[in-house]
Amino acid sequence: MVDDINISISTLVTAAAGGDQAAWNDIVGRYSPLLVAVLRQCRLSSADTEDVAQTVWLRLVEHLETLRQAKALPSWIVTTARREAWRQAAAGRRVLARDPGTGEWARLAADVDAPEDTVLVAERQQALLSGLAELGGRDRELLLLFLEDPPPSYAAISRRTGIPIGGIGPTRARALAKLRRTTAMQNFRASETDRPETTTGAMR
Amino acid sequence: MPQHRWDDDEKLLADLADALRPVTPLANRVAEQAGGALAWRTVDADLQLATLSFDSATEPVGSSRDANGGNRVLVFHCSPLSVEVELQGDRLLGQLVPGSSGEVTLEAADGTQVRARADEMGFFLVAAMPSGAIRLQCETATAKLVTAWFQP
Repeated sequence: MVDDINISISTLVTAAAGGDQAAWNDIVGRYSPLLVAVLRQCRLSSADTEDVAQTVWLRLVEHLETLRQAKALPSWIVTTARREAWRQAAAGRRVLARDPGTGEWARLAADVDAPEDTVLVAERQQALLSGLAELGGRDRELLLLFLEDPPPSYAAISRRTGIPIGGIGPTRARALAKLRRTTAMQNFRASETDRPETTTGAMR
Repeated sequence: MPQHRWDDDEKLLADLADALRPVTPLANRVAEQAGGALAWRTVDADLQLATLSFDSATEPVGSSRDANGGNRVLVFHCSPLSVEVELQGDRLLGQLVPGSSGEVTLEAADGTQVRARADEMGFFLVAAMPSGAIRLQCETATAKLVTAWFQP
Protein backbone atom coordinates (compact mmCIF):
# COMPACT_ATOMS: atom_id res chain seq x y z
CA MET A 1 0.00 0.00 0.00
CA VAL A 2 2.80 2.38 0.88
CA ASP A 3 4.38 1.52 -2.46
CA ASP A 4 1.11 2.25 -4.28
CA ILE A 5 0.98 5.65 -2.63
CA ASN A 6 4.54 6.45 -3.65
CA ILE A 7 3.91 5.27 -7.18
CA SER A 8 0.98 7.64 -7.50
CA ILE A 9 3.06 10.63 -6.33
CA SER A 10 5.96 9.73 -8.60
CA THR A 11 3.53 9.32 -11.49
CA LEU A 12 2.31 12.84 -10.82
CA VAL A 13 5.87 14.21 -10.65
CA THR A 14 6.84 12.51 -13.91
CA ALA A 15 3.67 13.70 -15.65
CA ALA A 16 4.16 17.27 -14.42
CA ALA A 17 7.78 17.19 -15.57
CA GLY A 18 6.40 16.38 -19.01
CA GLY A 19 4.10 19.41 -18.90
CA ASP A 20 0.87 17.77 -17.66
CA GLN A 21 -1.09 20.65 -16.11
CA ALA A 22 -3.63 18.42 -14.33
CA ALA A 23 -0.83 16.49 -12.62
CA TRP A 24 0.81 19.75 -11.55
CA ASN A 25 -2.49 21.08 -10.16
CA ASP A 26 -2.87 17.82 -8.23
CA ILE A 27 0.63 18.18 -6.73
CA VAL A 28 0.10 21.79 -5.59
CA GLY A 29 -3.38 20.94 -4.29
CA ARG A 30 -2.01 18.06 -2.23
CA TYR A 31 1.07 19.80 -0.86
CA SER A 32 0.01 23.45 -0.42
CA PRO A 33 -1.33 22.76 3.13
CA LEU A 34 2.07 21.30 4.13
CA LEU A 35 3.92 24.19 2.47
CA VAL A 36 1.75 26.84 4.15
CA ALA A 37 2.04 25.08 7.53
CA VAL A 38 5.85 25.13 7.33
CA LEU A 39 5.94 28.80 6.28
CA ARG A 40 3.55 29.77 9.08
CA GLN A 41 5.67 27.77 11.55
CA CYS A 42 8.53 30.05 10.44
CA ARG A 43 6.28 32.94 11.55
CA LEU A 44 5.87 34.51 8.13
CA SER A 45 2.92 36.85 7.60
CA SER A 46 0.15 35.81 5.19
CA ALA A 47 1.55 38.13 2.49
CA ASP A 48 5.11 36.80 2.91
CA THR A 49 3.74 33.23 2.96
CA GLU A 50 2.09 33.79 -0.42
CA ASP A 51 5.29 35.30 -1.86
CA VAL A 52 7.57 32.56 -0.59
CA ALA A 53 5.11 29.82 -1.58
CA GLN A 54 5.22 31.20 -5.12
CA THR A 55 9.02 30.99 -5.09
CA VAL A 56 8.95 27.41 -3.77
CA TRP A 57 6.51 26.22 -6.44
CA LEU A 58 8.51 27.94 -9.19
CA ARG A 59 11.67 26.29 -7.84
CA LEU A 60 9.88 22.94 -7.86
CA VAL A 61 9.05 23.40 -11.55
CA GLU A 62 12.81 23.78 -12.12
CA HIS A 63 13.47 20.60 -10.15
CA LEU A 64 10.75 18.26 -11.42
CA GLU A 65 13.18 16.62 -13.83
CA THR A 66 15.81 15.97 -11.16
CA LEU A 67 13.36 14.97 -8.42
CA ARG A 68 13.34 11.34 -9.45
CA GLN A 69 12.26 9.85 -6.16
CA ALA A 70 8.73 10.71 -5.13
CA LYS A 71 9.54 10.19 -1.48
CA ALA A 72 11.99 13.09 -1.75
CA LEU A 73 9.18 15.53 -2.61
CA PRO A 74 7.81 16.33 0.90
CA SER A 75 11.26 16.78 2.43
CA TRP A 76 12.32 18.89 -0.56
CA ILE A 77 9.27 21.11 0.00
CA VAL A 78 9.92 21.43 3.76
CA THR A 79 13.64 22.17 3.33
CA THR A 80 13.16 24.68 0.52
CA ALA A 81 10.28 26.39 2.35
CA ARG A 82 12.34 26.83 5.54
CA ARG A 83 15.35 28.17 3.70
CA GLU A 84 13.32 30.63 1.61
CA ALA A 85 11.28 31.72 4.65
CA TRP A 86 14.50 32.52 6.45
CA ARG A 87 15.78 34.41 3.41
CA GLN A 88 12.54 36.41 3.11
CA ALA A 89 12.59 37.31 6.79
CA ALA A 90 16.26 38.25 6.72
CA ALA A 91 15.93 40.34 3.55
CA GLY A 92 12.79 42.11 4.73
CA ARG A 93 13.73 42.91 8.29
CA ARG A 94 17.34 43.96 8.10
CA VAL A 95 17.45 45.92 11.34
CA LEU A 96 16.26 42.97 13.38
CA ALA A 97 18.44 40.58 11.41
CA ARG A 98 21.48 42.65 12.30
CA ASP A 99 20.79 42.49 16.01
CA PRO A 100 23.33 39.99 17.33
CA GLY A 101 21.32 39.52 20.51
CA THR A 102 18.25 37.82 19.08
CA GLY A 103 19.56 34.70 17.38
CA GLU A 104 16.14 34.66 15.76
CA TRP A 105 17.31 33.79 12.27
CA ALA A 106 19.48 30.86 13.21
CA ARG A 107 16.50 29.48 15.10
CA LEU A 108 14.17 29.91 12.15
CA ALA A 109 16.66 28.17 9.89
CA ALA A 110 17.50 25.21 12.06
CA ASP A 111 14.71 25.02 14.64
CA VAL A 112 17.43 25.07 17.29
CA ASP A 113 16.58 26.63 20.65
CA ALA A 114 12.85 26.39 19.93
CA PRO A 115 11.00 24.86 22.86
CA GLU A 116 10.72 21.13 22.29
CA ASP A 117 6.92 21.08 22.43
CA THR A 118 6.81 23.72 19.68
CA VAL A 119 9.05 21.55 17.50
CA LEU A 120 6.94 18.47 18.24
CA VAL A 121 3.65 20.18 17.43
CA ALA A 122 5.21 21.43 14.19
CA GLU A 123 6.48 17.95 13.29
CA ARG A 124 3.08 16.39 14.07
CA GLN A 125 1.35 18.92 11.87
CA GLN A 126 3.83 18.24 9.04
CA ALA A 127 3.41 14.44 9.39
CA LEU A 128 -0.40 14.68 9.28
CA LEU A 129 -0.48 17.05 6.30
CA SER A 130 2.22 15.14 4.45
CA GLY A 131 0.38 11.86 5.08
CA LEU A 132 -2.87 13.39 3.84
CA ALA A 133 -1.08 14.55 0.67
CA GLU A 134 0.05 10.98 -0.03
CA LEU A 135 -3.49 9.61 -0.01
CA GLY A 136 -5.17 8.86 -3.32
CA GLY A 137 -7.90 11.17 -4.58
CA ARG A 138 -11.07 9.52 -3.24
CA ASP A 139 -9.67 8.77 0.21
CA ARG A 140 -8.34 12.30 0.57
CA GLU A 141 -11.55 13.88 -0.70
CA LEU A 142 -13.64 11.91 1.79
CA LEU A 143 -11.41 12.85 4.73
CA LEU A 144 -11.41 16.51 3.63
CA LEU A 145 -15.23 16.43 3.80
CA PHE A 146 -15.05 15.22 7.41
CA LEU A 147 -12.57 18.01 8.17
CA GLU A 148 -14.91 20.78 7.04
CA ASP A 149 -16.01 23.07 9.83
CA PRO A 150 -18.69 22.13 10.78
CA PRO A 151 -18.53 18.59 9.31
CA PRO A 152 -21.38 17.90 6.88
CA SER A 153 -24.02 15.29 7.73
CA TYR A 154 -23.69 11.70 6.44
CA ALA A 155 -26.59 12.46 4.09
CA ALA A 156 -24.72 15.45 2.64
CA ILE A 157 -21.50 13.43 2.35
CA SER A 158 -23.44 10.68 0.59
CA ARG A 159 -24.86 13.20 -1.89
CA ARG A 160 -21.44 14.70 -2.59
CA THR A 161 -19.49 11.44 -2.91
CA GLY A 162 -22.07 9.00 -4.22
CA ILE A 163 -21.18 6.63 -1.36
CA PRO A 164 -24.33 5.12 0.22
CA ILE A 165 -24.89 6.37 3.80
CA GLY A 166 -24.23 2.90 5.21
CA GLY A 167 -20.88 2.77 3.43
CA ILE A 168 -19.52 6.09 4.67
CA GLY A 169 -18.39 4.87 8.12
CA PRO A 170 -16.44 1.86 6.78
CA THR A 171 -14.99 3.93 3.90
CA ARG A 172 -13.82 6.57 6.35
CA ALA A 173 -12.24 3.87 8.55
CA ARG A 174 -10.39 2.44 5.53
CA ALA A 175 -9.16 5.90 4.50
CA LEU A 176 -7.85 6.57 8.03
CA ALA A 177 -6.14 3.17 8.04
CA LYS A 178 -4.42 4.09 4.77
CA LEU A 179 -3.44 7.43 6.29
CA ARG A 180 -1.74 5.61 9.19
CA ARG A 181 0.24 3.55 6.67
CA THR A 182 1.54 6.52 4.64
CA THR A 183 5.31 7.03 4.61
CA ALA A 184 5.03 10.39 6.39
CA MET A 185 2.91 9.01 9.25
CA GLN A 186 5.01 5.85 9.61
CA ASN A 187 8.23 7.86 9.71
CA PHE A 188 6.82 10.18 12.35
CA ARG A 189 5.63 7.29 14.52
CA ALA A 190 9.06 5.66 14.18
CA SER A 191 10.78 8.89 15.25
CA GLU A 192 8.43 9.16 18.21
CA THR A 193 9.54 5.83 19.62
CA ASP A 194 12.95 7.46 20.15
CA ARG A 195 11.16 9.83 22.52
CA PRO A 196 9.24 7.46 24.77
CA GLU A 197 7.82 10.21 26.99
CA THR A 198 5.88 11.59 24.03
CA THR A 199 4.56 8.31 22.63
CA THR A 200 1.19 8.63 24.26
CA GLY A 201 1.25 12.43 24.44
CA ALA A 202 -1.84 14.25 23.31
CA MET A 203 -1.57 16.86 20.62
CA ARG A 204 -3.59 19.32 22.65
CA MET B 1 4.08 -1.06 20.48
CA PRO B 2 2.12 0.97 23.02
CA GLN B 3 -1.35 2.26 22.18
CA HIS B 4 -1.01 5.47 20.19
CA ARG B 5 -3.40 8.39 20.16
CA TRP B 6 -3.68 8.04 16.38
CA ASP B 7 -4.86 4.41 16.63
CA ASP B 8 -8.24 5.92 17.52
CA ASP B 9 -10.19 7.11 14.46
CA GLU B 10 -11.87 10.04 16.21
CA LYS B 11 -8.65 11.32 17.76
CA LEU B 12 -6.75 10.97 14.50
CA LEU B 13 -9.47 12.89 12.68
CA ALA B 14 -9.48 15.56 15.41
CA ASP B 15 -5.70 16.03 15.13
CA LEU B 16 -6.01 16.12 11.35
CA ALA B 17 -8.60 18.89 11.69
CA ASP B 18 -6.29 20.83 14.06
CA ALA B 19 -3.46 20.50 11.55
CA LEU B 20 -5.47 21.40 8.45
CA ARG B 21 -8.05 24.02 9.42
CA PRO B 22 -5.64 26.86 10.31
CA VAL B 23 -3.87 26.60 6.94
CA THR B 24 -6.78 25.79 4.61
CA PRO B 25 -7.83 29.26 3.34
CA LEU B 26 -4.25 30.34 2.65
CA ALA B 27 -3.31 26.93 1.19
CA ASN B 28 -6.26 27.12 -1.22
CA ARG B 29 -5.14 30.56 -2.38
CA VAL B 30 -1.53 29.40 -2.72
CA ALA B 31 -2.56 26.33 -4.74
CA GLU B 32 -4.70 28.48 -7.04
CA GLN B 33 -1.84 30.91 -7.64
CA ALA B 34 0.61 28.06 -8.25
CA GLY B 35 -1.25 26.67 -11.26
CA GLY B 36 0.53 28.94 -13.73
CA ALA B 37 4.00 28.07 -12.42
CA LEU B 38 4.20 25.01 -14.66
CA ALA B 39 4.24 27.30 -17.71
CA TRP B 40 7.79 28.30 -16.62
CA ARG B 41 9.04 24.76 -17.17
CA THR B 42 12.34 25.00 -19.01
CA VAL B 43 12.42 22.84 -22.11
CA ASP B 44 15.62 24.29 -23.60
CA ALA B 45 18.33 21.67 -23.00
CA ASP B 46 21.10 24.23 -23.69
CA LEU B 47 19.86 26.52 -20.93
CA GLN B 48 21.84 26.00 -17.73
CA LEU B 49 20.28 26.56 -14.32
CA ALA B 50 22.37 28.94 -12.20
CA THR B 51 21.71 28.20 -8.53
CA LEU B 52 21.83 30.77 -5.76
CA SER B 53 25.27 30.42 -4.17
CA PHE B 54 25.44 33.64 -2.14
CA ASP B 55 22.86 35.97 -0.60
CA SER B 56 24.12 38.83 1.56
CA ALA B 57 20.76 38.93 3.40
CA THR B 58 21.52 35.62 5.10
CA GLU B 59 25.14 36.41 5.94
CA PRO B 60 26.14 36.97 9.57
CA VAL B 61 26.15 40.43 11.09
CA GLY B 62 29.24 42.54 10.42
CA SER B 63 30.35 40.44 7.47
CA SER B 64 29.94 40.94 3.74
CA ARG B 65 26.23 41.64 4.20
CA ASP B 66 27.18 45.16 5.30
CA ALA B 67 29.23 45.88 2.17
CA ASN B 68 27.69 47.67 -0.85
CA GLY B 69 26.01 50.25 1.36
CA GLY B 70 23.69 47.65 2.81
CA ASN B 71 22.24 46.73 -0.59
CA ARG B 72 21.40 43.07 -1.01
CA VAL B 73 23.80 41.13 -3.21
CA LEU B 74 23.04 37.74 -4.74
CA VAL B 75 25.27 35.43 -6.76
CA PHE B 76 23.92 32.75 -9.08
CA HIS B 77 26.47 30.22 -10.14
CA CYS B 78 26.89 27.73 -12.93
CA SER B 79 29.70 26.85 -15.26
CA PRO B 80 31.09 28.58 -17.32
CA LEU B 81 28.96 31.67 -16.70
CA SER B 82 27.74 33.18 -13.42
CA VAL B 83 25.77 36.30 -12.61
CA GLU B 84 25.99 38.67 -9.65
CA VAL B 85 23.20 41.10 -8.85
CA GLU B 86 22.85 44.00 -6.44
CA LEU B 87 19.37 45.22 -5.52
CA GLN B 88 19.14 49.01 -5.20
CA GLY B 89 15.54 49.79 -4.33
CA ASP B 90 13.58 48.93 -7.47
CA ARG B 91 16.74 48.89 -9.59
CA LEU B 92 18.76 45.80 -10.28
CA LEU B 93 22.45 46.18 -11.12
CA GLY B 94 24.08 43.01 -12.44
CA GLN B 95 27.28 41.63 -13.82
CA LEU B 96 27.99 38.54 -15.88
CA VAL B 97 31.10 36.71 -14.67
CA PRO B 98 33.48 36.33 -16.45
CA GLY B 99 32.71 39.76 -17.93
CA SER B 100 31.33 39.61 -21.42
CA SER B 101 28.63 41.34 -23.41
CA GLY B 102 25.27 39.67 -23.78
CA GLU B 103 21.51 39.87 -23.59
CA VAL B 104 19.70 39.73 -20.26
CA THR B 105 15.99 39.16 -19.82
CA LEU B 106 14.39 39.64 -16.43
CA GLU B 107 11.29 37.45 -16.16
CA ALA B 108 8.62 37.94 -13.52
CA ALA B 109 6.25 35.16 -12.50
CA ASP B 110 3.29 37.19 -13.82
CA GLY B 111 4.77 37.05 -17.32
CA THR B 112 6.33 40.52 -17.36
CA GLN B 113 9.65 40.64 -19.22
CA VAL B 114 12.27 43.39 -19.04
CA ARG B 115 15.25 43.27 -21.39
CA ALA B 116 18.70 44.72 -20.74
CA ARG B 117 22.02 44.65 -22.52
CA ALA B 118 25.24 43.67 -20.75
CA ASP B 119 28.30 45.71 -21.81
CA GLU B 120 31.77 44.26 -22.57
CA MET B 121 32.52 44.15 -18.82
CA GLY B 122 29.32 42.18 -18.29
CA PHE B 123 27.48 45.01 -16.48
CA PHE B 124 23.75 45.50 -16.96
CA LEU B 125 20.98 47.51 -15.34
CA VAL B 126 17.26 46.90 -14.94
CA ALA B 127 15.76 50.24 -13.98
CA ALA B 128 12.26 49.21 -12.85
CA MET B 129 11.88 45.75 -11.40
CA PRO B 130 8.42 44.18 -11.43
CA SER B 131 7.09 42.84 -8.12
CA GLY B 132 6.95 39.21 -7.04
CA ALA B 133 9.31 36.37 -7.87
CA ILE B 134 11.79 37.02 -10.68
CA ARG B 135 14.61 35.27 -12.52
CA LEU B 136 17.19 36.29 -15.09
CA GLN B 137 17.95 34.70 -18.44
CA CYS B 138 21.41 35.62 -19.66
CA GLU B 139 22.89 34.82 -23.04
CA THR B 140 26.41 35.55 -24.25
CA ALA B 141 28.13 34.42 -27.42
CA THR B 142 29.22 31.21 -25.70
CA ALA B 143 26.81 30.48 -22.83
CA LYS B 144 23.17 30.62 -21.86
CA LEU B 145 21.86 30.49 -18.29
CA VAL B 146 18.70 31.01 -16.30
CA THR B 147 18.89 31.82 -12.60
CA ALA B 148 16.81 30.17 -9.90
CA TRP B 149 13.68 32.13 -9.01
CA PHE B 150 14.02 34.61 -6.16
CA GLN B 151 12.08 37.31 -4.34
CA PRO B 152 13.93 40.63 -4.68
